[in-house]
This record gives sequence, structure tokens and C-alpha cells, in this order.
Amino acid sequence: MITLALLFWVVIFFLFYKVLVYFKSIEILGEILLAKLMAVVFLTFFLMLVVSNIITSLSTYFLSEDTKLILTLPVSTEKVYLSKYLITLAHSSWMVLLFGIPVFMAYGAVYGASIGYYLWLATILLVFLLIPGGVGVMISMSLVNLVPARRARGALVVLFVLVLAALYLFFRFLQPEKLVNPEKFSELIDYLAMLRLPTSPFLPSHWATRSLFPLLKGQFDESMFFFLLLLSSGLMSALAGSWVCRLLYYRGWSRSYESREGGIKRMPLLEGFFDFLMRPLHESTKAMVMKDMRIFLRDARQWSQLILLCALVVVYLFNFKVLPLNKVPGITFYLENIISFLNVGLAGFVLSAVAVRFTYPAISLEGRAFWIMMSSPVELRRLIWSKFWTSLVPLLLLAEALIILSNTFLHVTQFMMIISTVTIFLVTIAIVSMGIGIGAIYPRFQVEDVAQIHSGFGGLIYMIICVTFIGMVILLEAWPTYLIFMARIGGRYLTLAQWIEVIFCLCLTVFIILAAIFVPIKLGLKRLSRLEM
Amino acid sequence: MIQLIELTKRFGQLVAVDHVDLQVKRGEIFGFLGPNGAGKTTTIKMLAGLLKPTSGRALVDGFDVVTYPMEAKRAIGFIPDQPFLYEKLTGIEFLRFIGSLFGMEKAEIEWRISDLLGLFELDGWRDELIEGYSHGMKQRLVMSAALLHNPKVIIVDEPMVGLDPKGINLVKRIFRQKSEEGVTIFLSTHTLEIAQQLCHRLGIINGGKLIAAGTIPELMAVLEDKTDQTGTLESLFLALTGKSLHE
Repeated sequence: MITLALLFWVVIFFLFYKVLVYFKSIEILGEILLAKLMAVVFLTFFLMLVVSNIITSLSTYFLSEDTKLILTLPVSTEKVYLSKYLITLAHSSWMVLLFGIPVFMAYGAVYGASIGYYLWLATILLVFLLIPGGVGVMISMSLVNLVPARRARGALVVLFVLVLAALYLFFRFLQPEKLVNPEKFSELIDYLAMLRLPTSPFLPSHWATRSLFPLLKGQFDESMFFFLLLLSSGLMSALAGSWVCRLLYYRGWSRSYESREGGIKRMPLLEGFFDFLMRPLHESTKAMVMKDMRIFLRDARQWSQLILLCALVVVYLFNFKVLPLNKVPGITFYLENIISFLNVGLAGFVLSAVAVRFTYPAISLEGRAFWIMMSSPVELRRLIWSKFWTSLVPLLLLAEALIILSNTFLHVTQFMMIISTVTIFLVTIAIVSMGIGIGAIYPRFQVEDVAQIHSGFGGLIYMIICVTFIGMVILLEAWPTYLIFMARIGGRYLTLAQWIEVIFCLCLTVFIILAAIFVPIKLGLKRLSRLEM
Repeated sequence: MIQLIELTKRFGQLVAVDHVDLQVKRGEIFGFLGPNGAGKTTTIKMLAGLLKPTSGRALVDGFDVVTYPMEAKRAIGFIPDQPFLYEKLTGIEFLRFIGSLFGMEKAEIEWRISDLLGLFELDGWRDELIEGYSHGMKQRLVMSAALLHNPKVIIVDEPMVGLDPKGINLVKRIFRQKSEEGVTIFLSTHTLEIAQQLCHRLGIINGGKLIAAGTIPELMAVLEDKTDQTGTLESLFLALTGKSLHE
């Protein structure tokens, strides 16, 4: 499993490596682009870290169970602040570090940087984390004094997801692919002119870039100056955090227990509709599905992720709408059908990303209340399948909508339409099954924050297995699809040898899909039935 | 109604429950006493299906909890010491959910809920999310859920934790009434006074071993045999668990 995680890390490294090598090969502009890209990466990390630190600190300082005990002990506010600050930093920064390190290592590899660069990188990253940590804690301290922590966290999560979705849509609708179109070259010059403008010299991302980038070429220039700027600001923000903590912590903590989290309590129409849909189901299965649905709609941390999902779908379809396939005369027909085939893989990947947030945590979301299921006369098999169906129906609808609409935009042949809709149907079932199964193998009933479920080790493993599975299915289907497609285009029949190849590949595909559907569920069930509470 | 045969549970090297043999009759209130870490909760969790015995058997209503778990669980109403619930459900939604898990008819669920919410004074909170309940209210909700399907056996871990005196009085009354109706109650407690007032028979467990079981007069006789003096349940408990009154 650790090998698979490392593999994923290596993939990020190589992807960035390829992009950076390409950028570097562009004369004159390459260097500027690389520096700007590093600044953008740092800025993105900085913004993500600030928001992530706000959300995490609301949990660590105000809502975590151990706080109740700690505050009754003769421990100074400064010590509480410092210990919680370090926990907040660790919780909110590990993901950024995980994805950030291969990116910066790719920079090092492209420039053939010395060991000094890597040592400096480690130092810069550690110091860089301090500033968003302090800022995040200060914002959450102030916020909780205005709005109680439970409500603040719910509202913040929704706000965070909305901002992410808006940013995503904004950048996508700018259509950056136009910049590589020669007809739009004048716009590219304008774009680069904009890139030449310095980013704000007051931003830590700018200081980090200015400190790290020269090391790539073995120069030290102003690196130390910008490093000291980062370090002093980091320490200052941590210190300012402790002052704000002394002033506002107790009052905010007390307020955090004055209110409950907001949410929709009554939804008779929706419940009536679901009740009607689930008529054929067993009463206990129906009860489990309804329970999950109610909890989902009342927990802002869960339903707010739907906003991001909607943005993802809009952009996905928009990509197909604006694909400039007609600019390549002669091969448009083939290109459309090849892309349609690759589209199945891409849609599968999008579905995995959705499933890791909604399907994979399904079992863990039972939380510490799982004793109720274990002591009830309901077989765990029923629980697992209820979770399976709850996830499968919306994901199937999403998957088929993605494939049918994008294929319509691509004007693919009927044969390709059938192949892709059937494939995505089976792949979705397997993705859901693996999500529920692997989620049951790695249950996390004790987490205080639902986001910790999918961002943990099991979630990473699930994503890696999904990507591997989708890749295998696409590879196995590619050859027979190509043979049949070409035969139909040429008005020929397949030879006996070709038929054997087609049947062999398809049988193997079906075998892999069936294994992906049943094996994880079986293993998950086995793990759950051995579970002790 | 409850039968433990050589019941054993190991956690690695630690023997939490060590070859316990015990029988509890129909309608009996059996109190399980013991110091912290003696094996009370482990025994209760094995009966409720949350832990699997390492060896030995536990039978509820004649059904082995390992080989016939569904039948055994259907006979049990389980009340844990910590009321972890689905915080985003309302009280009434939670009870309806439990009723469905136990395969009860809708109409039956509704009138039982109405009775139990009234009995446990949760009427005014039925449509509130559980996350807004106090610890005691959650405990009363769990008790309502455990009684919802009219179980033959009630298994309770520390029943009075988090309850106010009124709540404690109510629970004692309900348990006595249930016992008269033929329901078997197996409860673990630290509170000797409650055990004395409520239980027909007591079992004392220490270091995973059941060291004494019987009615209070029977246990007192054991004390007299051991120390040549009469005493209270407290002195008996301390004598049997190896601690002097001065400790």
C-alpha cells in the first residue's frame, strides 16, 4: 500500500517535470513562466493553507473533545495556544506538503539543482507554513467571538467550497487554451506582459518564490533577505496569534457551546419522494437510506461539497463544447471517436474523485454511533448494500449524463456511444463498490471532522486503485474497440483471429469489472464482521 | 434467559474475562459488580454483540450470540454507558429508525414512541436534533430506544450515569416494572446502593473472574464465612475484591 502511495507521488513528480521541461524550452519566456508558475503555486498553497487553518483551528481550539479537559487543568493559555497551534499546523498542512514537495522537486530536477536547493526548500516550506497558521488561528478566534464555532465552521466550509468552485469556473471560462493558438498570438503577448508584472511584494508567496528560485541556478542573490522576511513574519504571526488567543479564546470557547449548528430540519416533500422511490426496498434498508440522506442534508460539511461537484460537471462539459477538433481537417472524425473513448477514462476519473468524497466515507460516517448497527438485528451485509445503493443511483445518473452529453458535443458514432455508455455503467458500479468496500476495510469511526475520512491513507489507496482499475479497463477495451471500429468504417468483417482477440479482451474486461464489484464488498464485509467496539 | 458458559475474552496477553459461568433467570434483575477494569463492560459488550468471545459461549433467550446473533439481538435491548447517537437526527427520527431496524410495524412504532417519549419526559424535544440534547436526555433517549421493541432482556452498562435523581428514580421504577412483566435485566454498576435496592441477585467480578454470585443474604453468608463477622454490601465488595475498608 505504501508502494502505491509512493507511486502516486512519483506520478505527480513526472507530470510536473514534463510541464516544466516544456516551459523551460521556450526561449526567453521560459524562465519567466517558470518563476511565475512557482509564484502561483506558492500563492495557491498560501490561500489554501489560510482557509484550511481557519477550519482546522475551529475544530482543534473550540470543538475537539480534549479541550474540555485541558481547560480545567492549570495550563496557561500560551501553552494551550502553542500545542493547539502545532496540531492545527500539522493537520492543515500535511496535504499541501505531500502534493507540494514533488512539484518543487520537479523544479530541482529540471534545473539539475544542487543539494543546497533541496535543503533550502525544506527550510522555506517549514517557515512558509507558519504564516497561514498564525493568520488562520487569529481569524478563527475573532470569528468565533462573532458567530459560535459550530455555526462558523458550517458557514465557512460552505464559503470555502463556493470560493473554490467560483475560482475554478472563472479560470476555466477564461479559456487559457486559446493562448497556444497561433491566431491568438497577440493575446499571448498581452498575457505575458501581464505575467511580467510583479506579484504583490507584500505576499508571503512572493517572498518564498524570491527566496527559493535563485537557488535553482546555484545563486543565493536575495534569498537570505526574503527568507528572513518569511521567518520574521511567520514568528510574528505565531506571536500575534498568542496575543489574540489570550484576549479572545475563553470568551469564544464559551460562546461555541451556546448554539447548535444550523441546518434543514424538515423536508417533507423530499422525504415523501424518497419514500415513494424506495417502496420496493426492505423496511430496514429504507430506514438506513433515509437516515443517511437526512444526515447528509443537515451536515453542511457534507452537502456543501455538492457545489464543487456542480462546478466540476459544468467545466467538464464545457471542455467538450469548446474542443477545437474541427481545426484539424481530415482527421476530425477519428479524433472525435478516439477522444470519446478516452472520455470514458476521464469521466471514470472524475467519478472516482466524487466517490472518494461521497461513497468512500459512507461506512465511517456511522461514527461512534456504529454500536447501534452492531447491536441491532440487522445483518452488516444489509448495511453495506444500503450504502452501495444510496451511492450508486446518483453516481450512475451523473456518469451517464457526463458521457451522453459529452459524446453528443463530440458527434460520435452510435457504436462509440453504446460502447462508452455501457462501459461507464459498469465502471461506475465498480467505483461505488470499491468505495464502499475499501471504506469498510479502513473505517474511521473516531474522526471529529468528516474531511479527515477521505483525506486519510485509505482514501489515497482508494483513489490509486480506482485510477489503476480505470486505466486497465480502458487499455483492455481499446484494442477490440479499434478493431471493430475500423472494420465498420472500412465496411469489412472481422477475421477469426480478430474475433478471438476481441472476445479475449472483452472477457478479461468483464472479469476485472466483476472482481472490482464483488471482491472489495466481500473484503469490507469480512473486515466489518470482525470489527469489535 | 441469559447463560454464560466458560466465557472468555482476551486482548493480546490480557485476559479481560476469564472463564465466566453464570445463569440469569427470566424476570430477574442481575447486578454485575466489580472494580474498574474488572471485565464488566467487556462481558456486557460480548452479550450485546459488540465484542466476540475468544472462547466459551454466551446465550440469550436460548440463542448463542455468535452462531445466532440476529435472534439473540432481537431479544435484547442494549443501553451502553456512553450514549453516542446520530446527532443530526431528531429524537423521533432516531426512534423510528431503531423501530425499523427491529422490524416493527409502523403503527406499533408510533404508539410505542408516543408512550416512551412521555414516560422519559422527552415529549417537548421529539423534533429537536439530538446534538442539542444534554447527556442525561441522550441517555433517556437511548433507554427509550432499548425498550421500544419490548425486549425480553435488557442489558445495561452503568444505567444511572448522567441521570438526575428524578431520572434515576424513574429508571429504577421502570426496571422493577419490567422485571415483574418477566423481562430479564442484566446491569453493571459501580453504585452499590443501586445494586442493593434494585437487584435480585448480584455477581462480583474481579480480574476477569466471577468470584461470587448470589442473593445479598447469600453473599453476606460468604462474608461471614470468610471474616467471621457480619457487614454491609460495601464491606463484602471490598473483602472480595481484595481491598480493605481503609484503602
